[in-house]
Amino acid sequence: MAKLVDRPKADLVIRSYIPEVLRGLRVTSRHFWVNFLTRKNVVTIEYPEEKYPYPPRFRGQHRLMKREDDSVRCVACFLCATACPADCITIKAGERSDKNEKYPVSFEIDYIRCIFCGMCEEACPCDAIRLDSGDHKLPGYTREEEVLQKEDLLAKGGLSIAKQGGILQ
Amino acid sequence: MPTLKIDGIEITVEPGTRIIEACDRLGIDIPRFCYHPGLSVAANCRMCLVESNRSPKPVPSCYEMAVDGLEIQTKTQKVIDARRAVLEYILLNHPIDCPICDKAGECDLQDLYFAHNYQPSRHAFAKFHKPKARQIGPQIMADSERCINCTRCIRVCDEIAKAPQLHQVNRGGRTYIDVFPGTEIDHPYSMCVSDVCPVGALTTKDFRFKCRVWFTNGTQSVCGECSRGCSIRIDTYRNEIQRIMPRENPTVNQFWACDAGRLAYHNYETDRLQSAKANGQPVASDAAITQLATALDSVASGARVLVVLSPSMTNEAAWAAIKVGQKLKGMVRYAIGGREAGFKDDILICADKAPNRAGLALVLKTLGVEAVPLSAALAGSPQAIYIFGDDHHLEDVLVKAMDGAQLSVVFSAKDGPLANAASFAFPTMSPYEIDGTWLNEFGILQRVRPALTPTWDARPIEKWLGALTTRLLDEQIADDPAELFVTAMSSVNALDGTPLAASGLDGIGPFGIALK
Repeated sequence: MAKLVDRPKADLVIRSYIPEVLRGLRVTSRHFWVNFLTRKNVVTIEYPEEKYPYPPRFRGQHRLMKREDDSVRCVACFLCATACPADCITIKAGERSDKNEKYPVSFEIDYIRCIFCGMCEEACPCDAIRLDSGDHKLPGYTREEEVLQKEDLLAKGGLSIAKQGGILQ
Repeated sequence: MPTLKIDGIEITVEPGTRIIEACDRLGIDIPRFCYHPGLSVAANCRMCLVESNRSPKPVPSCYEMAVDGLEIQTKTQKVIDARRAVLEYILLNHPIDCPICDKAGECDLQDLYFAHNYQPSRHAFAKFHKPKARQIGPQIMADSERCINCTRCIRVCDEIAKAPQLHQVNRGGRTYIDVFPGTEIDHPYSMCVSDVCPVGALTTKDFRFKCRVWFTNGTQSVCGECSRGCSIRIDTYRNEIQRIMPRENPTVNQFWACDAGRLAYHNYETDRLQSAKANGQPVASDAAITQLATALDSVASGARVLVVLSPSMTNEAAWAAIKVGQKLKGMVRYAIGGREAGFKDDILICADKAPNRAGLALVLKTLGVEAVPLSAALAGSPQAIYIFGDDHHLEDVLVKAMDGAQLSVVFSAKDGPLANAASFAFPTMSPYEIDGTWLNEFGILQRVRPALTPTWDARPIEKWLGALTTRLLDEQIADDPAELFVTAMSSVNALDGTPLAASGLDGIGPFGIALK
């Protein structure tokens, strides 16, 4: 059953808004002066000079991991490109002379398409691609800037402690 | 005729049938590595073991003949255990480098492991190492660690290519496939060893690291490198040909294809004519057609006109070309160009290097048109020349004749001397982009399907002619291959007497249709 709500008619004082605006200004001014003078309980930070740390499982910009000899860990198996639901990974495979045989000649990620789902990381059999750089891809002015090359992705990469799958050490 | 029972189902087969063939006929799945229907039986992989009432131990079904009263069980625990054990042994020293293996995705060992073994390796010791990533021939890479020694490749070389160039070296677990010292595998069918290889031990240099197989799209088409017209599958990815594989066709090429046919697609990757040209300068397609229509009017009615047809054209394009030729002003003569005859053998490769010479002859005969040899036709210094196709021998003579002619029109997929010398050149499709039919030397009519779409304004010959005739003639000539096929083939009968037109272009099966 519907409940009848009593709606009193607003009088002139309420309709003029002035007392309520002053009441609001009082709250705002109190916060302003308290924060300005004491800087206690400030919840905002001064981005971009100051940044909140992302949680450890944050999926940000990709990085390509490296081997002990600083070469790229990726063996260009295309499993990340296969798993990618956004079709944002383009790899060109080439031949390397050592026992690892295959490596990516070019490795591009199109961040206009990427949805940061982490499927590539999940699919990688070599722990070669990770989304744990802790950075997000910064916006650019052109479409070309949004496609990161192998060198850009390797720049954030480090040594992986995982054992390389399928390759005899 | 022996009658046997497989899993309780009775089947009668011809004498000499293997059990595995009888199982295939019943649709019972038997895993196999070394058995191949086109090769002799080696029975060395032991993957196809089944239980028989005539033997206390499981028997290899690829080797055992079907005999009367035989009772075969393919799903008992004994068989399941045998398969699992066989796979465990095969995988004992396998490097499991699937991520970098070109076969991954179409590998029998991968598939059968998941279907019949699916357990981690219990092998705790170091694996045997064998030579990896060796080039053993101009087209073949060998990775002996992946090899399971099924010897299919050896049998392909011995029995199909008649070139015994591969053999096994060492014994036991260290066995691997190799060429003889100082030699390489270089026969014209060397890439077939990669097709039959059930694992990634033998892969092709051409496809190496190019694309993963699960990305590719297969288009069933026909090879245009010689007049046999092998059935092929064109694997493409992102509008590029990745590789060409043979397709089973018992009446044409069985399971095989030659290296030349598989690598021929590289010819059309570069130097493509990408826009219409007038006197060597690029022009818009519509402008070229309008200009050509005007130029055609200026040809005198008594002029000597030569139409050079290509034996690589589809029957449909040839039909449209001759139909337009019959409407041209002047005294029209027809000549057949095409590549020169070349290497032949008794296996697949034919001397005639054009896929549709027989079909062209059939179209000419149906339309009651005579063709003269190209050299004789050029001697008559024609005043207008129409050239279809881009693979003519005597190209320099053609160019000279075009220089002397008042009007020359070229329909070509390739940019080159012909396209530059012509008054008008129109970009057409490569053999991997056309739609239509080819008739091979042995009377088998097969469907050619487009695997690629050019990104520029290239059109099939029949489309150019259709656009031209709408400008030029009151009557429009059909420009659709399916429509042209019905018109062109209405008087041609298949072997069983039914007119081909009834089946339509889409009615041509994967093996083609044999003509009378």
